[in-house]
Amino acid sequence: MSTTSHIKPISAPDVNVDELLSDAAAKLFRNVSDFDAVQAAEAARWAPTVWKAVAEAGFAWIGVPESAGGSGGTIADACEVLRVAGAHAAPIPLAETGIIGGWLLACAGLPLPDGPVTVAPGRPDDTLTVTVNADGSATLDGSLHRVPWAAKSDVLALFDEASGKVIAVPNSAYTTDLLTNMAGEPRETVTFAAASIPADAVAEAGPQVTTDALRNRGALSRVMLMAGALEAMLNLTVDYCEVRQQFGKPIGRFQAVQQHLVWAAQDAALTKMAAQIAARQAARGDARFEIAAARSLANECASTATRQCHQAHGAMGMTQEYALHHLSRRLWSWRSEWAHPGEWSGKVGRFAESVGPQNLYPLITAGSAHLS
Amino acid sequence: MRFTPTELTPAELELQAEVRDFLAAELPRGTYEPALGMGADHDKEFSKKLAAKGWVGMALPKRYGGHDRSAVDRFIVVEELLRSGAPIGYHWVADRQTGSVINKFGTEEQRERFLPIISRGEIGFSIGMSEPDSGSDLASVSLRATRTEGGWILNGTKIWTSSAHENDYFICLCRTTPMEDGNKHQGLSQMLIDLATEGLQINGIPFLDGAPGFNEVVMTDVFVPDENVLGDAGMGWVQNTSELAYERGGPDRWLSTFGVVEQFLASHVGTPMGDRAVQSLGSMVARYWGLRNMSLTVARMIDQGAAPSVESALVKEMGTRFEQDTLLKLIELVDLEPSPESASMFERMFTAATLTGPSFTIRGGTIEILRSVASKGLRS
Ligand SMILES: Cc1cc2nc3c(=O)[nH]c(=O)nc-3n(C[C@H](O)[C@H](O)[C@H](O)COP(=O)(O)OP(=O)(O)OC[C@H]3O[C@@H](n4cnc5c(N)ncnc54)[C@H](O)[C@@H]3O)c2cc1C
Repeated sequence: MSTTSHIKPISAPDVNVDELLSDAAAKLFRNVSDFDAVQAAEAARWAPTVWKAVAEAGFAWIGVPESAGGSGGTIADACEVLRVAGAHAAPIPLAETGIIGGWLLACAGLPLPDGPVTVAPGRPDDTLTVTVNADGSATLDGSLHRVPWAAKSDVLALFDEASGKVIAVPNSAYTTDLLTNMAGEPRETVTFAAASIPADAVAEAGPQVTTDALRNRGALSRVMLMAGALEAMLNLTVDYCEVRQQFGKPIGRFQAVQQHLVWAAQDAALTKMAAQIAARQAARGDARFEIAAARSLANECASTATRQCHQAHGAMGMTQEYALHHLSRRLWSWRSEWAHPGEWSGKVGRFAESVGPQNLYPLITAGSAHLS
Repeated sequence: MRFTPTELTPAELELQAEVRDFLAAELPRGTYEPALGMGADHDKEFSKKLAAKGWVGMALPKRYGGHDRSAVDRFIVVEELLRSGAPIGYHWVADRQTGSVINKFGTEEQRERFLPIISRGEIGFSIGMSEPDSGSDLASVSLRATRTEGGWILNGTKIWTSSAHENDYFICLCRTTPMEDGNKHQGLSQMLIDLATEGLQINGIPFLDGAPGFNEVVMTDVFVPDENVLGDAGMGWVQNTSELAYERGGPDRWLSTFGVVEQFLASHVGTPMGDRAVQSLGSMVARYWGLRNMSLTVARMIDQGAAPSVESALVKEMGTRFEQDTLLKLIELVDLEPSPESASMFERMFTAATLTGPSFTIRGGTIEILRSVASKGLRS
């Protein structure tokens, strides 16, 4: 849109995501995470060339301090890269390696491995028991569910709330099954049989790490990925409706189809804005409200926009050979990750209840800053 | 389409605090029946008080009595007024659109005549666009203006003219040159008309709940002097399109039912809400937060000199649907047979909102028309 594209992004004085970073990320993901790479990753359960390129560029460790072996930058920078990765359906555990798992390891002063890191999102059917032994080592028994790319990760970063420890679990300590999510991304069951983890891989988590903080990071990562995927899905659909002709004209000229496009555009714009504000707030500190609100919106928008975009595509959207499913299947999967039903809208509702009717609007305008 | 997040500066936050303090003093909760957004009562005293604070005609130039404030400053003031259900009806239209249109297209004399009284909150404007046979297809209006010595003679009927019975003036879109070859966008003009002019008859049309508000304005040989033609005769369509842009994307397009949601929460004070209610409330609050940020961005873009027409159409289309959705979510949560005479404020407001709800997605241009506008700007 020529009339508005000259508008400079307004960055907050204290949180400033460099546009060069998003541009560089967009260029890289466009090159390596193309249709064929995403398609191939599904069968192979891994995308070595995508991972290699992202790792070489240092993108996997943005938001993790350099002193801890990361690439530096803020969580807002890392989030922007995640958003771009989502737009390109990048089939790698980027968030797990960086702002979730990398963060856990860095907070505990544990070393970052060279390869990917994964994190268990915490499912109701998890049966893991953690025993921290007198010599500082830990013994793990039981299983964890829906762990992204567990088989391909060097380390599973684990936070044990009861002992307050972060444990850098090496890949050799567990076995995995072959489960995937609806997009064919590995979400494996990790099983431990009295696995012993040496003391140097077990460390005090530090005050920053709480289950809430971990879940917020997990949720934020999915908001960013969904924001990217929604925007990409919209663009794909708008383009398709220009090109596809029926009754002698592009289908995008039909009002009924325009409605699909407009509703999907709203979902994409709303999620992107919510995601970027939540990321900005996370870089400042307390972002409880923004993350929960963004997550509630993103989940709703993912559901409605996939429906609109599929409808506008007709049968073409239903084949493996066309890119829509790389995005729609991920959106259907991501909306359920790091979220049990009603979790995030419920959090927002409880925040509203806690401030009361007189302060409901101030909560909407000031967000987390309004919560004590 | 582009929405870049923005946030309020310290000076803007100060303004917000000032408006909140003013409203807390003027309209303590519980002492009045909150209006549903812009469909608020006329209260000339309240309009004057606001104007005295410098909060009417904010965007108009100082030399005409305005305040040279930004679109964001106006956003801050009106969002607080709307979410409080303040009685803003008298000055609302003049403040939102008429003042800006006169400033943009009017003659120097018109600016001097109208802008100071608009900024003092002392004049109420109506909108004279729709006709019995011209709704969405507004360019087809046929209200006829014929040339006469020193002005024009108008004959025809406007309809759905909100508050014409209690306002002072309206801007009337009329045809100053007969339509040729079906080129309906040519030959239209906007006129500033005193609603007390001879030959102009205002007939009330009851709203579906029986309330006054709607009117039919019948003009029989109404004389409009040349100095009341707004801008250039024949340029009415372009000017009118520009006027409609002020009607879009602002807080009035997503806050109409906020008071109902607030009262829902108030009705639960002291009794913890169940999970379903909390999740539903949370989903609404999240959307208020998201919509507000998009709407604020539209205001910021206007201040930066952009013309965010696609963005504001997207926000209005989405915002007005959301206003209706909130009512559907609430009715699922409460065991009510709603009555307008109920002792419960929540119930009265819910009833009023349900009865006016269908108009949210119609007034100022239907959502179907907005989608056509918005869909033209979706290419990235
Ligand atoms: C509460 C309220 C206050 C109002 N106040 C004023 C006022 O003060 N001044 C004033 O001038 N007007 C006012 N209006 C009128 C308002 O501007 C019109 O209602 C609106 O422009 C739609 O016109 P219409 O009602 O004639 O509907 P129509 O144009 O007859 O439309 C009926 C239906 O057909 C659809 N439709 C029509 N054309 C198309 C198309 N091309 N493509 C797809 N769908 C289409 C519409 O979207 C709608 O769903 C008010 C309306 C309301 C509800």
